[in-house]
Amino acid sequence: MSSRFWTAQGDSDTEEEESDYEDGVERGGAAGESAPHAGSRYLQTNASDSDDSDGQKRVVRSAKDKRFEEMSATVDQMKNAMKINDWVSLQESFDKINKQLEKVMRVTESDKVPTLYIKALVMLEDFLSQALANKDAKKKMSSSNAKALNSMKQKLKKNNKQYEDLINKYREHPESEEEGDEDEEMEEDEDSGSEFEEDPSKIAMRSDSEEDEEDEEDREDSAAEVGGGWEKKMSKKDKLMDKQFMKDPSEITWDTVNKKFKEIVAVRGRKGTGRIEQVEQLTFLTRVAKTPAQKLEILFSVVSAQFDVNPSLSGHMPINVWKKCVQNMLVILDILVQHSNILVDDVVEPEENETQKGADYKGTIRVWGNLVAFLERVDVEFFKSLQCIDPHTREYVERLRDEPLFLVLAQNVQDYLERVGDFKAAAKVALRRVELIYYKPQEVYDAMKNLAEQTEDTENGESEAGEEPRVEESRGPPAFVVTPEVVPRKPTFPENSRTLMDILVSLIYNHGDERTKARAMLCDIYHHAILDEFSTARDLLLMSHLQDNVQHMDISTQILFNRAMAQLGLCAFRVGLIAEGHGCLSELYSGGRVKELLAQGVSQSRYHEKTPEQERIERRRQMPYHMHINLELLEGVHLICAMLLEVPNMAANTHDAKRKVISKTFRRLLEVSERQTFTGPPENVRDHVMAATRALSKGDFQKAFDVIKSLDFWKLLRNREDVLEMLRAKIKEEALRTYLFTYSSSYNTLSLDQLTKMFDLSETLTHSIISKMMVMEELHASWDQPTRCIVFHDVEHTRLQALSFQLTDKLSILAENNERAYEAKIGGGGLDLPLRRRDGQDYAGAAAVGGKWQDNFSFSQGRQGSSGVRTGYGAGGRPFGPGSSAGTFSRDRGGQSRGTGGYSGGYQSTRSAVRGSQMDTSTRMVSLNRGVRA
Amino acid sequence: MATHDLTPRIAPNLDRHLVFPLLEFLQERQLYPDEQILKAKIELLNKTNMVDYAMDIHKSLYRTEDVPQGSFFFYTWWGLWLVVCDLLRFLADMVERRAEVVARLKALEEAAAPLVSFLQNPNAVQELRADKQYNLQMLNDRYQIGTDQIEALYQYAKFQFECGNYSGAADYLYQYRALCTNSERSLSALWGKLAAEILMQNWDIAFEELNRLKEIIDSKSYASPLNQVQSRIWLMHWSLFIFFNHDNGRTHIIDLFNQDKYLNAIQTNAPHLLRYLATALIVNKRRRTQFKDFIKVIQQEQYAFKDPITEFLACVYVNYDFDGAQKKMRECEEVILNDPFLGKRVEEGSFSTVPLRDEFLENARLFIFETYCRIHQRIDMGYIYTF
Repeated sequence: MSSRFWTAQGDSDTEEEESDYEDGVERGGAAGESAPHAGSRYLQTNASDSDDSDGQKRVVRSAKDKRFEEMSATVDQMKNAMKINDWVSLQESFDKINKQLEKVMRVTESDKVPTLYIKALVMLEDFLSQALANKDAKKKMSSSNAKALNSMKQKLKKNNKQYEDLINKYREHPESEEEGDEDEEMEEDEDSGSEFEEDPSKIAMRSDSEEDEEDEEDREDSAAEVGGGWEKKMSKKDKLMDKQFMKDPSEITWDTVNKKFKEIVAVRGRKGTGRIEQVEQLTFLTRVAKTPAQKLEILFSVVSAQFDVNPSLSGHMPINVWKKCVQNMLVILDILVQHSNILVDDVVEPEENETQKGADYKGTIRVWGNLVAFLERVDVEFFKSLQCIDPHTREYVERLRDEPLFLVLAQNVQDYLERVGDFKAAAKVALRRVELIYYKPQEVYDAMKNLAEQTEDTENGESEAGEEPRVEESRGPPAFVVTPEVVPRKPTFPENSRTLMDILVSLIYNHGDERTKARAMLCDIYHHAILDEFSTARDLLLMSHLQDNVQHMDISTQILFNRAMAQLGLCAFRVGLIAEGHGCLSELYSGGRVKELLAQGVSQSRYHEKTPEQERIERRRQMPYHMHINLELLEGVHLICAMLLEVPNMAANTHDAKRKVISKTFRRLLEVSERQTFTGPPENVRDHVMAATRALSKGDFQKAFDVIKSLDFWKLLRNREDVLEMLRAKIKEEALRTYLFTYSSSYNTLSLDQLTKMFDLSETLTHSIISKMMVMEELHASWDQPTRCIVFHDVEHTRLQALSFQLTDKLSILAENNERAYEAKIGGGGLDLPLRRRDGQDYAGAAAVGGKWQDNFSFSQGRQGSSGVRTGYGAGGRPFGPGSSAGTFSRDRGGQSRGTGGYSGGYQSTRSAVRGSQMDTSTRMVSLNRGVRA
Repeated sequence: MATHDLTPRIAPNLDRHLVFPLLEFLQERQLYPDEQILKAKIELLNKTNMVDYAMDIHKSLYRTEDVPQGSFFFYTWWGLWLVVCDLLRFLADMVERRAEVVARLKALEEAAAPLVSFLQNPNAVQELRADKQYNLQMLNDRYQIGTDQIEALYQYAKFQFECGNYSGAADYLYQYRALCTNSERSLSALWGKLAAEILMQNWDIAFEELNRLKEIIDSKSYASPLNQVQSRIWLMHWSLFIFFNHDNGRTHIIDLFNQDKYLNAIQTNAPHLLRYLATALIVNKRRRTQFKDFIKVIQQEQYAFKDPITEFLACVYVNYDFDGAQKKMRECEEVILNDPFLGKRVEEGSFSTVPLRDEFLENARLFIFETYCRIHQRIDMGYIYTF
């Protein structure tokens, strides 16, 4: 247990040293004394300075004595074990003494192995050969004992090799060595420093090789021991490294650094490797790197080591490590910008000594590394940290403030890549930037810009403080690679978020790959939607044909697509395009899994439990809180749109309510609310909209509007007043239509003035609405111009008539079915063939014209057209066909990758819903679609 | 006045030489200050080789410039000095360029001389057959005319065109097409021919060329769909000259523009062409069937392009706002008069009329009246007067 104590001290030593070192105090050969110095701190709290050297010595003595005592105790133990021929305990003692040796070496700061140890080795060797020679005794041994003997034999052989000459020397004259031992050590204490300076690298080399061997030994040991052993060694290594490199810089060669570097990298990822220590070691190495290329190489490993700090997939990288990582990336860029002949590349394995070429080397130097991958990883970590941190804490806000830091990094990387001419990679980086910006409205963007500008000063100060030790001003050795800050540390933002988006997005469109382009396009759409540019956003969506192939993309892109659609819907609503808004949003709400589709929380499904794994995967996809789209607003807008479309529609088709359903979701909700015996005051969004619906269906626009206005999510809208005004106008219009549909049968004539007064609409608008209804033959009436009245023609069917109409419709479908069944039975290809051919022609025509989406569309249309009555199930069956087959397909995929099903399933319904709605209501979208065909 | 002028949007899609007629028209209508138009002309001419024309215009530009009088003595002199300097510099430039152009013309003429002399010999031309390969072979064997000369002919024709000698250019391009084997070259020769015919106002021939070009564009496989769309848009712009001058043009324009591919091109890249399609549809009584679809297109493109003619249609068929429609109709008249294509004047004896305007107004009134009657039971005669 004493060893632990010593380890602790060793650690504090390194710290002490480092801090001293950073202070830049010229200490000459004092490094060797740092251990005693550290010790003296505790012992001499009130001792005067003059006592210092004295005290130091005393402490060193005692420490050393203790070590030697321990060692000799172990030797005694070994002797005892030898007597009883107990190889198991002998083996243990041997390991112990090796460890103790290490410590002794550290305490004495010498490269000379104590004679005591050598003596023990000699003794052991002799005993071993003796035991091996005695075959009988060996046979008599217990199995464990024999095993121990064998392993001891090997170990000893290996171990003794390094001390071979010492052992030989000892064998020659055992006494003299022992005598001189004490004195020598005394001397060493005095001028250990000077001795070190003579050959620092040699020690390092030796200790390294020693460690390596110990390494292997350790591995042979039990796992538990490995851990402990490693930690101790780590600290020792640190110390040695410091010592080794703190010396005259001219003696550190590229080889030394390279060797050390290789060594550290080699243990990466092994069990029990201290990740943070590794980062520290590597960071230290960057300071002593001899050439820029080497520094770069090491920095790359530092960054990857920093990524390793957090091993688990779900957690995020510690924030301070993240920040350091970003700084390191910036330094990497500094180097790259400064030395334009260094190329970073992850395809070709660079030659062994590529990095040896110095700063003045003119040719190209290849260094392994992938800037884009690193940057993406940094981004992912940032994203993950935002996912994990509770959004309602200060920490979250603090974390958000780091965004400009990342943006500046990304900007620099992109600039660099563009300069190098790697536009493909630059496009990827640009996408990362786009994804940080696209969801920000102008206000948020401005805030971020201000933040970046404000923090610039403090940030600079901080980074300088962090950077200075790296630059090694105090020591000023020419050998170290000094990296000035070449790349800007402050992000530059254009005035307008749109400008920035345009620049980035056009770069991506020109150079990105398919996925990058698709994502950029979605972000672009989202951003346009935020800025209320509905038509631009819609055109982008339609021209890119994203609706077609989004279900073949990865889930995160699908989520992005959903988000873009949601935002597009909100945008359409804000600019007053109710039908379009409904078209965009109804898809999201058709499955009742909005949260899941938008990745804004996990929705519980009643019907099937998710496995924990699925849940975990889903949790990993979640959007950070600040990117959320307000769900209440979304739901409210969806329901209001549905209400405005559905209420007049229901009023127009009272007889067969089922025939033309615009929004199934809305109908269902309405049914539920109508089933209630008593309706209380509205509480949630749904209640409000339902209350408004009841008012609207009576034509009471004022009440409907008041109810809707009382919803509190309106405050989330930027141009709240305008939107409400628009909404009011729309409600009035729809109220007028509903009123006319519902009560026209009760009137003979109705004056225009009366209606305008009733619905508070302008005369021209009322006139135009009613005229439209007349032309569309929704309203059987006509104007009487001189008296400004509507004259209703009583062509309303009675209920009996309406029902008989329905009956005839159904009968004709039945007859048609019958006929077809008959044909099928007879095998009358005669009628079938031309039909099919006609379909085929339609299809071919459509295929010649354009993309897949239109094909499907015009195909089904063609079918409907070609066989008039068949529409009944033609229309019913057609959209289902591809939808369901694709659905199963994606579910299969979902089965493989676990948890995909949810999203892609959502997609299927979404798609067929789009198709349905486009066929039925908004021919607008589809025919615009045609605009892109050519 | 100039708010509904489409020239800036149309001009980029035309050949430089084709813009001149538009500018002439604008000058006549005096929508813009004379000076501005003249400057625009010069800018255009600078890129062509019509040096003499450029010099004329330049002179007229500075002759019209008023020299300020009176107390601004200093400014006057300064201004005059500037003008003189500018003029001198320009003239020097032009003289230099003229020399260059003439030299170039000479050189090209020489290069193409063998072929030209061959083509001018009617006996020799008769030896040509429909088979291109044979012709090439024959020329090569008997007249030592190889691909170089043929290429020279193209260059010569192009240069002729640039200098403003359209008839020569058209002839040579026609010959060239008969001999050329490179399809790209042939296509651009066709474009050149079309432009030349348009500028010579041979509408019938131009219309034939147009159809030929259209076939090629539709059947050719383009590197990217974007290029194809662009070609279509050019074609449509150029065709405006023909359609509004050709006798049957108004039917043909509907045939062309209302094709799916072309309508899509309009919607994606050139929504301003909707004006011409709308006008043609209104004027054409027999095309009612295509009307409904077109109304939808107009509705969609409202955000991209709006002018009184499309708004008029929206008023009548979307909003049923008859007062608005009448207001728009009056605006339409203005627009038609100021449009280089629509506002073509016909001199009849002592006074000139714009036939299209009259037809348009007549039909527009008819539209309003028809729709109005459809939804009314009783109408006051007094009100109808206002139409």
